[in-house]
Amino acid sequence: MTKITRRSLGQLTAATGLAAASGIRPAAAQAPSGPPLRIGYSMSLSGGLAGNGRPALATHRIWADDVNARGGLLGRPVELVHYDDQSNGAQVPGIYTKLIDVDKVDLVVSGYATAIIAPAMPIVMQRGMTIVTLLGTGVNHEFRYDRHFNICPVGSQVKETFAKGFFDIAMAMDPKPRTIAIAALDSDFPQRTAESARFLARQHGLRVVYDRSYPPGTVDFSPIMRSIQAARPDLVYIGSYPPDSVGLLRSASELRMSARMFGGAMIGPQISALKAQLGPILNNLVTWDVYAPEPTMQFPGVESLLRRYREVAAREQTDALGLYVPPLAYSQMQVLEQAVKRVGRIDQAALAADMHANAFDTVIGPLTFDALGEWTEERNLYVQYQGVTDGNLERFARPGTQVILYPPRYKSGELRGPYGASAT
Amino acid sequence: MTVKTEAALRPRPALPAGHIAFWGGAALLCLALVAGFRVLDNEYAWFAGYFILQYVLLATAWNILGGYAGYVNFGAAGFLAVGAYTTVALRKAFGLDLLPCIAAAACIGGLLGLGTGWLALRLKGVYFAIATLSLAVLLHTIVVNWSFVGGSRGAYVLRPASIPPFVSYGEYLFVVMLVLAVIGVGIARGIEGSRLGMGLAALRDDERAAEAAGVPTLRLKLVATTLSGALMAVAGAPLSHYTGYLNPEAAFGLAFSVNAIAMPLIGGAGTWFGPVIGAVLLASLQQAATVTISSAANLMIVGVVLVIFAAAAPRGIVGLIRGGRHR
Repeated sequence: MTKITRRSLGQLTAATGLAAASGIRPAAAQAPSGPPLRIGYSMSLSGGLAGNGRPALATHRIWADDVNARGGLLGRPVELVHYDDQSNGAQVPGIYTKLIDVDKVDLVVSGYATAIIAPAMPIVMQRGMTIVTLLGTGVNHEFRYDRHFNICPVGSQVKETFAKGFFDIAMAMDPKPRTIAIAALDSDFPQRTAESARFLARQHGLRVVYDRSYPPGTVDFSPIMRSIQAARPDLVYIGSYPPDSVGLLRSASELRMSARMFGGAMIGPQISALKAQLGPILNNLVTWDVYAPEPTMQFPGVESLLRRYREVAAREQTDALGLYVPPLAYSQMQVLEQAVKRVGRIDQAALAADMHANAFDTVIGPLTFDALGEWTEERNLYVQYQGVTDGNLERFARPGTQVILYPPRYKSGELRGPYGASAT
Repeated sequence: MTVKTEAALRPRPALPAGHIAFWGGAALLCLALVAGFRVLDNEYAWFAGYFILQYVLLATAWNILGGYAGYVNFGAAGFLAVGAYTTVALRKAFGLDLLPCIAAAACIGGLLGLGTGWLALRLKGVYFAIATLSLAVLLHTIVVNWSFVGGSRGAYVLRPASIPPFVSYGEYLFVVMLVLAVIGVGIARGIEGSRLGMGLAALRDDERAAEAAGVPTLRLKLVATTLSGALMAVAGAPLSHYTGYLNPEAAFGLAFSVNAIAMPLIGGAGTWFGPVIGAVLLASLQQAATVTISSAANLMIVGVVLVIFAAAAPRGIVGLIRGGRHR
């Protein structure tokens, strides 16, 4: 038996201290060995989708470090093999054939968004591989592939459920609203959300007083806002992407637009740079989201992930807070990790069967998948920005600024109204 | 008339032997490529090959109007998208296979080219270029608002896993694009050595002088825009089958328009071989960069190569070789 001397005890203490200081977790598992387990995917690191692609990749790297520190997957070190698709779907088929045939990856996942996921599907289906995708919308409604699993809170019934939170919050107001204005960008996701808003407006007996789409590349939003203002709606529901969201919100602010509830499916305020840029204009905006740092959403691991992500983000100049894509991107890899561990080998059919049959514990909470690979239970969040006085990002990292109003199980505050000049 | 045009108008030795050598050589090259890729037994080779060949056809098509006639078309992506969406529309409406869709795309692209020529060829220089750019924007707007082909949401094309006797659908697409590219290059070569090519060269050098000399400039330009439009649409026709999903952003991508111009200029515009060299070089470089450098840096490749060639070899690689030979 080895005798513990004072010197060796001192060395051990110093080593433990060093490990703790450098953030290394206790080596509970053996170091991974053998050939690396390769996970391949295409990711948008340049072009229009890079704003969310780069945070996703940074998160995947954090996950790979975590897994390797825990002893790897199936005892093998995990290696990420990824190529930049330049946000261009035409690059994707070539990338996935390269990954599968030349790089011989063991597993595949997807990059960010429908435009990148859909072109990967025929290749993945041809090889019978299981794929975990990130924030696709309705991709598998067309392909109906039983080895596709999507990390997206929207679920399968987009029309029936996407805007439900917004309408549930609105219809709980006293007196009940009677009119709504709907404006949406002429693009896939915003149009799907507007369709849901129209459907639910009909269901609730609301009169639609304005319903228009605007083309991509619109820069002057004051005509849209003036028209909405002239229609005097109680509710304003907007489906937009980041550049339009900024334009619409600035225009609403300049025109001193007011409504009892304003927001909808505005993609943009989720991104840190836009939070900082818009600041108090966001006050009382009720908008769709996927995660908010509220006490009701403190799932195991999410705080630690965000802390580590923010260190990386500062170095790599990606989204500073990481409240939008990173928790989902980490969950994407956790689903894969847990399925591989349960199955115990790389068997695509068995992995898919496991993902259909079992639940997953992730940093965004427990997940289960339906037959199409969408979340069994949709989890569209509707948050309201409250008490924003400036563009200081630290405020947005703390609870109480993006208050969750829907769904009830994650509710962390009460609705404030109206939206508009008086709120700022 | 300039010395260059006189040289261009001098009858060239378009001997049947030359044609036989070209078509024979092309057939041998096709067979060698397919056999070589089959030996490789690698799906990636088919997909990367398709990517390069689509640019060979697109660059060749652009060269017919831009290189031979000197009319710069900034709207190549618009014509390519017309071909891609023709396939989507016909497949959805009648369930047609890829090959009839390609034929239809050629007709529609040709008609659009003819229409564009009729309307815009009274414009010259930058004004024509701007008109073609506007055409692409107009077509984009139409597609975004046309829900039958998916509109802004995009359209899914569910393709079969394979088509016998081809090993995979990737191989089938590669062979189809290979044949189309060879036909496209053959047409361009035929034009270059014909009276049509000489007429186009004459009007490129001095349109008024050509007209005064009896060259039917408007008719020649209309033939050129029709052929160019048809071949660009053909280059785009299989795109939706290649990706399995087509949205307006992908079909009207800026990369298509930029590459369609950059490739002939780098290879040598105004020659049938120039666009082929330019497309093979630049598309291979881009494809290689995508799976090696794989960062925003690969977007700079086209720009950097174009700047180098504009400064060092304004007549492209073919010009460099010919210059070297004449020295």
